[in-house]
Amino acid sequence: MSDIDFVGLLSFVPAILRVTTPILLAALGVLISDRAGVLNIGVEGMMLSGAFVGVVASAATGSAAAGLIGAIIVGGLLGAVLAGAVHILKADLILSGIALNIAAAAGTTLLLFLMTGDKGMSGSLASQVLPKVTIPVIADIPLLGTLLSGHHILTYVAFLAVPGVGIFLTRTPLGLRLRAVGESPESAAIAGINVVRVQVMALIVSGAFVGTGGAFLSMGYVSWFSQDMSAGRGFIALAAEVMGHGSASGTMFASLLLGAAEAIAVALQGRGLPSELMQTVPYIVPVIALVVYARRRQRLLARA
Amino acid sequence: MTNAPLVAFAGISKTYGNGTLALDDVSFSIAGGVIHAICGENGAGKSTLMKILFGLEQPSSGAVLLDGKAVAITSPRVAAGQGIGMVHQHFSLVPSLSVTENIVLGQEPRRGAFIDRAAARQRVVDLAQRYNLLVDPDAVVRTLSVAAQQKVEILKALSRDVRVLILDEPTAVLTPPETDELFERLRDLRAAGLTILFISHKLREVRALASHVTVLRAGRLVGDAPLDAIEDDAIARLVMGQAERPKLKRGGRVSGAATVTLADVSLAARDAADRLHDLDLAIHAGEILGVAGVDGSGQRGLVSVLTGRIQPSAGAIAYDGHSIAGLGTAALRQRGLAHLPADRFHDGGSKRMSLVENAIAGAHRLAAFSSGPFLKRRAMEARTVQMIERYNVRAPGPKAPLAALSGGNAQKLIAAREFATEPRFLIADQPTRGIDVAAAAFLHERLSELAEKGCAVLLITADLDELLALSDRIVVLYAGRIVARMENGPDLTPERLGPSMLGLESAA
Repeated sequence: MSDIDFVGLLSFVPAILRVTTPILLAALGVLISDRAGVLNIGVEGMMLSGAFVGVVASAATGSAAAGLIGAIIVGGLLGAVLAGAVHILKADLILSGIALNIAAAAGTTLLLFLMTGDKGMSGSLASQVLPKVTIPVIADIPLLGTLLSGHHILTYVAFLAVPGVGIFLTRTPLGLRLRAVGESPESAAIAGINVVRVQVMALIVSGAFVGTGGAFLSMGYVSWFSQDMSAGRGFIALAAEVMGHGSASGTMFASLLLGAAEAIAVALQGRGLPSELMQTVPYIVPVIALVVYARRRQRLLARA
Repeated sequence: MTNAPLVAFAGISKTYGNGTLALDDVSFSIAGGVIHAICGENGAGKSTLMKILFGLEQPSSGAVLLDGKAVAITSPRVAAGQGIGMVHQHFSLVPSLSVTENIVLGQEPRRGAFIDRAAARQRVVDLAQRYNLLVDPDAVVRTLSVAAQQKVEILKALSRDVRVLILDEPTAVLTPPETDELFERLRDLRAAGLTILFISHKLREVRALASHVTVLRAGRLVGDAPLDAIEDDAIARLVMGQAERPKLKRGGRVSGAATVTLADVSLAARDAADRLHDLDLAIHAGEILGVAGVDGSGQRGLVSVLTGRIQPSAGAIAYDGHSIAGLGTAALRQRGLAHLPADRFHDGGSKRMSLVENAIAGAHRLAAFSSGPFLKRRAMEARTVQMIERYNVRAPGPKAPLAALSGGNAQKLIAAREFATEPRFLIADQPTRGIDVAAAAFLHERLSELAEKGCAVLLITADLDELLALSDRIVVLYAGRIVARMENGPDLTPERLGPSMLGLESAA
């Protein structure tokens, strides 16, 4: 063990946290929707829309905070749209989510072109980025400083949201009702709970989380919007939530695993390994993880 | 005190979207502070009427009067506000939540933004003590026995300050001692001033518990009388209509060679309720072997290993003397296995598929129903129509989804499919649970007929009347072991089976 270069490994931490942040935010959103029984399949489209609106709103107002708020609002609105499709139009949840993803990919490209005349990038928009946070005192402690300080503000938001979502789900009346609705809607209705209202609320909050993840992509990870920049992160977030076994902490660990895979893949690309192969790592890891998870579940079910 | 009855139904009719008339101009009233029984076969409209009272369904016409005033009960929340609580036949509990969470759900005590967990737990403890319904407030509902879950369900209703408590077939899932305990608690509740609506099709229970009985048949009110003014036979005639309750009694029949044998079979399952320990058992051609036992005594494990769904961890199972180790369900079905599963909508058939598809499933590869890659739809439909007629399945048509059928009719269709294979070995798992007396009697005759033709029948049932009416021999399972074996005969009674079912004595 003594051979391990701790400082070298530690230098990976900021990279892993950076890659994990959007996945974790989106996965927490998926978690809230899933526990309410309305799995948010539209997560990819909501993320992309959040990234887009963050850039546009911050460029229009000159305020990064306005960009973030815009991203949160558009995420929540799309959550409401999805809820409306399911509860008012009685559409299929999965199909509605897929439609939302496709529409968001096309819609953001169209709007980008209309605003900038460029279909690929938002470079001409003077968008803002959200700041990094340096924690005084801790930042100066070796190791701990690298671990805890100097990250993007949304990275802190994402990780602090983990206990927040966990406590919300397990300790608050609304969280209890949300879990009851997700597991057994008839029982919840009999207990006097308005199932539709809980599910609509869950999708709106889910969208807000996912929109925040989108804002990180265009206002932190990079400082522009580009076509299809979510690049499957929403789907990876879905995988993270499934691997997380329905708990906030489990979702965080799964997100970290998938984030680490991607960060390591990026790092290895710089070491002469074929970049095409390395780019597959973030997708292969969830496949392997989900297969392992599914097999374990099958065994449990077979024994039950 | 007013003279108006606590609850009155005035000309209630209910027509469902598919045109079924579930209730037809039903009017009667329920006095406060009594146990009032509502009798009738499945599909008679009892459950629909109770759902209307509880706000889960709306009447097409007519009104519900509470204390003489018409009240529109539009949701369970409104019903709760009026002091009406219901213990559902299929419980309304959330399995992964704790007892406390289930009971306070929807009216959680708060401390700031959070649930006050100590207060919630105390509320459950107080309630459980007050009504002498003892449950562990911290247990996860999924891990509780059915009887304990029912207690939770009753506590949940009581926690909402009810004055009318509806119990929909509460004893269907209970053993005799559990039923006795439930009845004592219900009498306590009545003594405490509650009005109890008790829905049942078991006359013995109605007689033991209630003071007034209302009988529904095919959606109409056919009888309404104080129990001391009506004989059991009269109630039975009202419930059944013209048909008489058929009695079948087998027992001690000479049987043929062993069709299926189990030698030292054990199963190490994760769930203790599925484990088996050293089972030695032979099921002979031409006999019905009854398996008694409290729910969760290993019945599921036994069915799993006999149908090839799970390989036993130790021991050997043979069909006709040949080991079936490693064989799956399809291979066993080719060797003459048929299986009437306990859950007819989950394991027995597919709710969303049509009656035709459900009736042909398993036989769909036979030349009669397929040519090359294609199914012969017309032949399939013709066979299904035959089954529907022969088994008297009440259905909108062969193309309707299985979900459109009542539990009893779905079970008849699945039985028709299984019996059509002319099985050599049949597993009938709770074959008549929750289905009406006429359909049950029909299935009993078919089971008996199959045995007479030389089929070996394994009958697993929680209904001791059924067990004693049909079985030639009986084994009792307790905690995965056979604890008693007996020949059936006139002197064998439910009371004699009770102690071994509860593990109090072992005669094996």
